[in-house]
Amino acid sequence: MEKALIALAAALAIGLSALATAWAQSRIGSAGAGTIAEKPELTATVIIMVAIPETMVILGFVVATMILYR
Amino acid sequence: MIVRMAKIEIAGPKELLLDVLALVQELGLFQVEPEPGGFVEAGVEAKVRPLVPDEQVVAERLFLENLGSGIAGVLAALPRPAVGTSPLDPRAALEVVAAAVGGHGAWCREQEERLAALRRERDELQRHAVIVEALDRLLAGVSLGEGVDCIGLVLREPAAVERLRWLVANGTGGASELLTAVAADGTTVCLIVTVRERGARLRELLGAEHLPELELPAAFADLPFPERIRRLRGRLAEAAAEMAAIEGTLADFARTWGGAYLRAREWVENRLSLLRLTARVHETLMCFVIHGWMPAAGVPGLEGELAARFGGRVVVEEKALREQDLQRIPVALKNPPYFQPFELFSRMLPLPRYTSYDPTPFIGVFFPLFFGMILGDAGHGTVLLLASLAALRIWPGRPAVRDAARILLVSSLSAIVFGFAYGEFFGELGGTLFGLRPLIVERRTAIVSMLWFSLAVGTVHVTLGLFLGFLSAVRRHTGKEALFRLTTIAAILCLALLVVSLFQLFPRNLARPAIIALVALVPLLLATGGFIAPLEFLRTVGNILSYARIMAIGLASVLLASMANTLAGMTGDIVTGIIVAGLLHTVNLVLGVFSPTIQSLRLHYVEFFSKFLEHGGRAFDPFRKSRTDKEEESWKRH
Repeated sequence: MEKALIALAAALAIGLSALATAWAQSRIGSAGAGTIAEKPELTATVIIMVAIPETMVILGFVVATMILYR
Repeated sequence: MIVRMAKIEIAGPKELLLDVLALVQELGLFQVEPEPGGFVEAGVEAKVRPLVPDEQVVAERLFLENLGSGIAGVLAALPRPAVGTSPLDPRAALEVVAAAVGGHGAWCREQEERLAALRRERDELQRHAVIVEALDRLLAGVSLGEGVDCIGLVLREPAAVERLRWLVANGTGGASELLTAVAADGTTVCLIVTVRERGARLRELLGAEHLPELELPAAFADLPFPERIRRLRGRLAEAAAEMAAIEGTLADFARTWGGAYLRAREWVENRLSLLRLTARVHETLMCFVIHGWMPAAGVPGLEGELAARFGGRVVVEEKALREQDLQRIPVALKNPPYFQPFELFSRMLPLPRYTSYDPTPFIGVFFPLFFGMILGDAGHGTVLLLASLAALRIWPGRPAVRDAARILLVSSLSAIVFGFAYGEFFGELGGTLFGLRPLIVERRTAIVSMLWFSLAVGTVHVTLGLFLGFLSAVRRHTGKEALFRLTTIAAILCLALLVVSLFQLFPRNLARPAIIALVALVPLLLATGGFIAPLEFLRTVGNILSYARIMAIGLASVLLASMANTLAGMTGDIVTGIIVAGLLHTVNLVLGVFSPTIQSLRLHYVEFFSKFLEHGGRAFDPFRKSRTDKEEESWKRH
């Protein structure tokens, strides 16, 4: 039972943060696509902006790792 | 690296101004500053005023602007591939061109107008030609005698053919034939063949039904139908021949005169830019004064050239840089050959300020390192190494591709080195085939160790960024900001010590002094960074944690490689297994190029550069000659 709860906690840590990242990236991505259509020279900036929310899932991953390997 | 700039004042007698500007333009190392503020000592500002050009300069400028527009008109009419090069000296070319440009311009305009009229006619005739070709096919099956009349029609709706057939049969009492065909553009073309005396009545009926006879250009309207087709074709051929003749004449003209016109245009543009620059020059009662910036390394060269040409009548003075100059010193970047390809990434950022740092060397050092740490596979690294070498061989003349290939070359070498450190060659295939063992750590199993390693790399990288920020603040004489950066570094190190002590990587009894030091640093943080300092500190901690992606993305990569090998083994067949493994490793390899690239760049742009890089620099734009040679080459390549 304890193992199952640990696994669930790790899954929630990474799953919820992944959902949050996905939502943020969807908003930034759609705005970024519009930006690139108008100003192609901002492509690099947009790629970086899209990558920024990934910190959330990385932090979730760190927490999940700590839960599983503590 | 940001090139060190010198603040320069050039002064000399007014009559030498244009010659001095010509020399400055030839050297191409000097950016003229239009505002004298900061260059002229206090107390003498009133004696230095903007230069008023004399009548000769104004007259020359007007003449050259007029000549330039004439040359542009002639060159616009010439076919580009035919423009030849000219052995003439630009000044000699200018004299010849100036004498001929009026007549040539008028002749070129006339040729252009004739060509445009012929193109319009050809387009119109070609629209008819499609239909005429279909009619011609129909006419081939008709015997045309004296009393026979032909009517051509175009139907928009193919379904109207039956209605037309009924109309023709009733209108001519059966003394006619309706033939239909589909033209190349999909329209339905009809040919009605009837006896001549019924033709007029039939045309009336068709007009009443809004089915007018096919109208050809006015010149062909009164001709009998078969004759119209022949004349239409004949005119198309004539128009094409006339166009070819005019184009040939223009090409001959371009070969003879194009090079001279290009040379003359180059000279005129350079001379005009020089004359326009006089508006940025200042004068005193007797002298001209030019203020500006140039690379410090080029100052002795400029002094030597001026001394050699003007024998000490023109002087160069290097002025001392003041605090207020720092914001407007232009920025030029120059890097050693190894770092130059990495300017591809630094060009994505706005230009740094003169007091800041060129981000290129940092990317050149850390980007391949992070790339290798994330990809970390000797097999994938070897494939990328071969791909980069192939790209360098195939596209040596394309600068962007060449730079990207060089970056990939260095990064793939790093991936190979880390691949041996992790013991990975296409995942665990190296271990299975060649007994490859990890030299340092096995990523698949040592997840926590890799996490600590990634965070340690992040701590070092972010701390380096903070230290560079501290140096930058010291250089700008902003003591409070410098102290805040230094306090943040101390706090980060205390926090790191606390974490490693709590996780028993260091002796646990170090935790207490670390906490005490951290608490002691909080007031200093607040005093130097304000109330936002705790948030800044937390952001920095978040930046360090963000480096965990080095481990996370790397782990995903190694697990994908492992999965490819496992699935290949499950097929139970060597050929299928190789295909499956090859496909999956290819997918992993593509991900392995994009993902480490984007993540490494992000770590630089967001986590690292935000700690010290100041954007908003003014690009160094020296006054120099424009060259026609490159344009001639590009025209020849067409």
